[in-house]
Amino acid sequence: MAVARPALIEGARPRGVFTRHDIHGDTVLDCDVVVIGSGAGGSTVAAELSEAGFDVIVVEEGSYYATRDFTADTSAMVRQLYRDGGATIAVGNPPVMYQEGRAVGGSTVINGGMSWRTPERVLDRWERSGLDISAKAMEPYFERVEKRIHVAGMDQEAIGNDNQLLKKGADAKGWKIIGNLRNQAHCVGSNRCAFGCPTGAKQSALVSYIPRALHYGARVYADVKVDRITRHGKRATGVMGKSAAGFNVAVRAKLVVAACGAIHTPALLVRSGFRSPSGRIGHNLSMHPNVKVVAIYDEPVTGWKGAHQAFQVREFEEQGLLFAAVNMPPSVLAMSFPQRGRALGELMVQYDRMVLAGMLCEDTATGRVRTIDGRPQAFYQLNETDAANLQRGVSLLSELLFASGAKRILLPFHGAPELASADDARRLLDNRIPAKGWEVVTVHMMGTAAMGADRSAAVTDSFGTVYDADRLIVADASLFPTPIGVNPMETIMALATRAAAHIIDNSRRFVS
Amino acid sequence: MTYHHSSTARAVLRSLVPVICPPEAAHLADAIVDHMALTIGALPSLAAKGLAAGLVTYDLGALVRYGRRASRLGPVQAEAYYASWEHGITPVHVQFAKGINQLMSLSCYEQPEMMEACGYRAAGWIEQVTKKRLTVFADDVRKQNEQILAPDPLRPSLKKEVA
Repeated sequence: MAVARPALIEGARPRGVFTRHDIHGDTVLDCDVVVIGSGAGGSTVAAELSEAGFDVIVVEEGSYYATRDFTADTSAMVRQLYRDGGATIAVGNPPVMYQEGRAVGGSTVINGGMSWRTPERVLDRWERSGLDISAKAMEPYFERVEKRIHVAGMDQEAIGNDNQLLKKGADAKGWKIIGNLRNQAHCVGSNRCAFGCPTGAKQSALVSYIPRALHYGARVYADVKVDRITRHGKRATGVMGKSAAGFNVAVRAKLVVAACGAIHTPALLVRSGFRSPSGRIGHNLSMHPNVKVVAIYDEPVTGWKGAHQAFQVREFEEQGLLFAAVNMPPSVLAMSFPQRGRALGELMVQYDRMVLAGMLCEDTATGRVRTIDGRPQAFYQLNETDAANLQRGVSLLSELLFASGAKRILLPFHGAPELASADDARRLLDNRIPAKGWEVVTVHMMGTAAMGADRSAAVTDSFGTVYDADRLIVADASLFPTPIGVNPMETIMALATRAAAHIIDNSRRFVS
Repeated sequence: MTYHHSSTARAVLRSLVPVICPPEAAHLADAIVDHMALTIGALPSLAAKGLAAGLVTYDLGALVRYGRRASRLGPVQAEAYYASWEHGITPVHVQFAKGINQLMSLSCYEQPEMMEACGYRAAGWIEQVTKKRLTVFADDVRKQNEQILAPDPLRPSLKKEVA
């Protein structure tokens, strides 16, 4: 009988990484700074503070896997690297399925590797709201992150046919399309970004900031789930958690950094008893709702050979829409189709002639993360404004794909007919598709412990310091006051670098 | 979470393979159902429990209409019964049918034979490009690995000032 089991074989661990195999009883640890979460924010803070000489412990709920552990076994990767097998749901109509990484390196292990600075228009918006963050002030932090994770354009030979078709379509329409900047060192186009890069080319936190943190003396405790931040009054004093083997793990620290992502950070703050004067912990959830279309061509595309998302269509960026080609393995694609039986087989036999194209929408709706029995539950209702934007985006994206030679396009909403021409794509706009009709997914959750100058309206200051708490800093996408309209990893890392600089500059206040 | 199919769940899922999977996957039914157990085990426990309860309900629900359990229906009746849930009378029926369709389709196309039929040969491709990266770009890869560890303090002039 089949049972759930670890699918990845965990090999030797580097010095400084401890897992459930190393914790043989209840454990108490001491350090200067404990960082909860090892993703984009946590790993960056850990590396910067370790190099500055602080004694840092990173606590990560997921396990430690190395590049050699990442294989072509898609579902095994999903089971091991994604929280809830990648099937976590934000409640709403439609429900929004979202994915979070759960491994050392966090979601950087499973993201597409897009590395974009926060758009200036967004930083301007934040600055106008009173935050002391400007494009100029952020520049050195972006530069530092980009150097560390090797942000670069793609090698031309690594760009696959699906992306070339996207470019062909954009060029035919005269639309702006740009090469994606990605954190990669000679990506060779395995197109497995979302399942752990098996070539080591993607410079996720797992192969960049985490090794750096370890090199400068940080310790990483994997397989430990933090239950709560301990505190003395308003002062954070460490964390209490449990190892995967069931042992208690306590870390006593002078400073606590919460970097668990926009879903889990607010829940951790709430169940640890921290209250924001604004009452806004868990509010302001943005999700960059994402929909996909499948275009079928006459000729082979073989989209699984070549870099993931080599280009981005930026023509409609100002309207909050980005398009990209996002190949997925057959199993993941099959589960997104409503077809079954013979019809599914007839569709899937055309897999090699498909281009899967996705669209990111900068949302105007906000949801909320509530903490129920200590666990986070996201609630998010796609609003009609964003649904209308998605509808327009699907129409435009379909036009682009037809311009590149697509013969049929399958759409992401209930009961939708296939499109057979660009005219069909334009006619999509004739009838409003209600919000509840969409199939929406996302990997960009933001905003639930938002920074702001006004403590009565925000949860933290611009460095992530939690208002009305002492020695507690947030360093993840929870901080974003608004959605940013592009992939958030670099923004998280840059803000985390800025927070680390603030901590170093004010070490007596934070770590004495 | 460790998850095992109950005998009822296994029988129901086994009977749904011809309904949800393409005919060419029929001989892979046991492997598909086994694979589903792995996937369900990774889901939130509430979802896994809901699915398990749903499968029992689905099985017994057929008694009302056909006088036999879903797992014992013939092909035509099995198709009609699943379709009645797929277009069901309540959103719960619809979501359950959709969820089973998704999980089973995923497991079906995770079978090596089905991936091969799609032309998807990722393992060989990964091996090929990994080798290329480590040979053609060996110098650049080494430089990046060195850069990751090279000293580059965020605040060069400051030493740790912890009392």
